[in-house]
Amino acid sequence: MEVLLFGSIAEKAGASILRVEAGSMEQLRTELLMRIPELKEMRYAIAVDKQVVHADRELKGTEEIAVLPPFAGG
Amino acid sequence: MSNTGSHKTREIFVEGPIGPAFIAESIAKHSTRTDIGGHEIFLGQVRADATDIGSIGAIEYTAYRDMANEQMIVIREEAFARWPITCLHVYHSLGTIQAGELCFFVFASAPHRREARESVAFVTDEVKKRLPIFGKEILSEGGHQWKRNS
Repeated sequence: MEVLLFGSIAEKAGASILRVEAGSMEQLRTELLMRIPELKEMRYAIAVDKQVVHADRELKGTEEIAVLPPFAGG
Repeated sequence: MSNTGSHKTREIFVEGPIGPAFIAESIAKHSTRTDIGGHEIFLGQVRADATDIGSIGAIEYTAYRDMANEQMIVIREEAFARWPITCLHVYHSLGTIQAGELCFFVFASAPHRREARESVAFVTDEVKKRLPIFGKEILSEGGHQWKRNS
């Protein structure tokens, strides 16, 4: 699945899209930490189909996933 | 203009700073709505904060546009549900906005001032909290840091 990265996280990863294989949120988090170790020290949220998701849940692979650093609008 | 209760996604993002002429035109468009008795406007401006690593010369805004526009529909519906407002317009800049330029425009109109005022305060706060907008603070002396809303 494709994972969209934004702001400081895209900067750290050096990319705005990552291709990741994950069957659940838990796997996705583990995979992301391996690919972007700096995430350990960063605050971020994961959005699944444009909704922030905190709990573990299954992922089909067709969802739109995004990793979002702290919001800074206004 | 009169999209009360509309579920339609509207684009809130504009490329570059929000110009005073754009704001004036937005106000002028409401002269035909004679049920309006008051307008309330919030304008966000880029502030040249002095930080530990230098002063901010500009902010480069990016956003997860689709999610932001969808979240805005939800905030808009909440505002219309809470206050009898006639209309509500929200715009946010993308790209590089220099210190002193406007980057955020919230505009509500209502029969009476109280609901216009309260809805603008609510929408301004919720946009800052809930919309995935990101700001890279460009320092005048070179370098950058990432803005975060407290």
